[in-house]
Amino acid sequence: MNTTPAVEVPAVRSGSHFGAFLGEAAKVTAFLRRDFLVAWSYRMSFFSEIAGMFVQAITFYFVGLMVNDSVLPTYGGENVTYMEFAAVGIAFGAFISVGLGQVATAVRQEQLMGTLESLLMTPTSPATIQAGSVAYPLLFLPLRTGVFLALIAFAFGLDFAPGGLAPAALVFLLFTPFVWGLGLLSAAGVMTFKRGTAGIGFGVALLVLTSGAYFPLELLPRFVELVAEFNPLAVAIGGVRDALLGNAGWHSLSAEVFLLVPMGAASLAAGVTAFRLAVRRERARGTIGLY
Amino acid sequence: MIEARGVSRHFRTTTALQDVTLVAARGDVHALLGPNGAGKTTLLRILSGLMAPTSGVVSVLGLDVHTRALRHVVGLVPSGDRSFYLRISGLENLVFFGRLHGLSRNQAIARGRDVLEAVGLEDAANKPVGVYSHGMQKRLSVARALLAEPSVLLVDEATHDLDPEGARRIRELVAALAGSGSTVLWATQRIDEIRGFAGNVTLLHRGRVRFSGTVPELMAHATPQSYLLRLRNGVADRDALQQVLDRALPGKARIATADDAEHYRLGLADGVVLGDALASLTLEGVQVLACREERSEIEEAFLALTRDGG
Repeated sequence: MNTTPAVEVPAVRSGSHFGAFLGEAAKVTAFLRRDFLVAWSYRMSFFSEIAGMFVQAITFYFVGLMVNDSVLPTYGGENVTYMEFAAVGIAFGAFISVGLGQVATAVRQEQLMGTLESLLMTPTSPATIQAGSVAYPLLFLPLRTGVFLALIAFAFGLDFAPGGLAPAALVFLLFTPFVWGLGLLSAAGVMTFKRGTAGIGFGVALLVLTSGAYFPLELLPRFVELVAEFNPLAVAIGGVRDALLGNAGWHSLSAEVFLLVPMGAASLAAGVTAFRLAVRRERARGTIGLY
Repeated sequence: MIEARGVSRHFRTTTALQDVTLVAARGDVHALLGPNGAGKTTLLRILSGLMAPTSGVVSVLGLDVHTRALRHVVGLVPSGDRSFYLRISGLENLVFFGRLHGLSRNQAIARGRDVLEAVGLEDAANKPVGVYSHGMQKRLSVARALLAEPSVLLVDEATHDLDPEGARRIRELVAALAGSGSTVLWATQRIDEIRGFAGNVTLLHRGRVRFSGTVPELMAHATPQSYLLRLRNGVADRDALQQVLDRALPGKARIATADDAEHYRLGLADGVVLGDALASLTLEGVQVLACREERSEIEEAFLALTRDGG
């Protein structure tokens, strides 16, 4: 069917790919505004999440009073308190659980609201819809994690090394694509199986358990400890602890960079591919709006 | 232009569409008529690229419906209510979708206000969509479809939840869009609304095309057979009236009492001229004070075409 269009249809001209990219990137800001307005409309939830993290921190503070600090690893040759040790774990644990949950929930919400089809009816690339849907949680969560760490450092008198802030931030940034990729994978699962969020909770719990977030990895059985050393969450937490508690400089981060970059890339590639395949499958089946 | 050729869609053991062909021309409001479950929504979803057909070819403006650039010029009014972010305002929803259509924020705000006014929602612009009624959400849906001034508009039951005035307003908007050269495919089960509004009609029933042509051609299938009569004087007895009709039109007319002694229901066989039946009653001294079709012609056509084997 090659009828000549009677109406001009906009097309991406060769040579205007950069312009098209900018156009798509601008759309992400529309997603950001939308999600901020939606989040702000749930102010109670917004503040209760932050309050919940503080209550968790207070709990760990009292747990820490019972813990013999000598069982904890040393950083830069210095002993650390349990609260200092656990603070990074709490922040990362919250980052990955809330991050994964929100990314998957973003897609599920679109399905539940019936808005996913409306989005797909706009001249927006699937990649932009993916990026836009998760942009708010992915921008907001690192910010919230940083603020949380700063506040509990102040509130509990934690001794973080100022010189380690920038290297810690780098590790955190390198870890983010891994979470993004896992989030997209879980979003693809939710789109395909409609109710896949229970699996996300289990996966996050397993990742956190084998990450050394709340206790040293050395306490795990040896074979679990060996596997856990390649858990990206464990790598990231270890790197941030080295930076913030041991004042390790840039030079000591090569192992983390070496592991986190390919892990993040692989996770992101798998997530993007899975999400695209999920959208294609649902389109073919005609079930994209079902939930 | 919208074209679907030999389109079928199966869901496991269910056949939603079977060998459907439809062509809607530029500037036409083409009605897609059919009862619930006829396959109208499935066809619209296929034409909008949200669902792939099992077989057949579809194109819009001569292009494959999955062409992303086509989405700049195709508007869809979905049948369901669930297509907006309920926690944010109607205007913010339109601004968001406008930006996804490539408008700048300022352009999207201006355009959003224009289309909200066009559908009569300007006073509710800043209210969360969650407090909108079904009818208001439907109008908002139409407003969103008009955001990008579409060359092709796919409309699924747009007036289903609207009051008569709201429905008229939407039809006028859509007719004006078609008048400016856009192609409109208007899916509905409200058959009376297509008269004087749609140019062509495709009637779907159980996934198959039962009729395709103009609205007057559709009405040619009408076989009005049932009338409500208001009679006075003369014979007041039903049996006596039936005898009168039997003499004039043997076996072709039946009369039955209706709600009260003055009202009767007259049924005529195919091909019987109504005037002959009324004349036979008048000749016997019966005054026919009123005569009303029990169904509209278009409804009769619809029923005739969707009847099993029709």
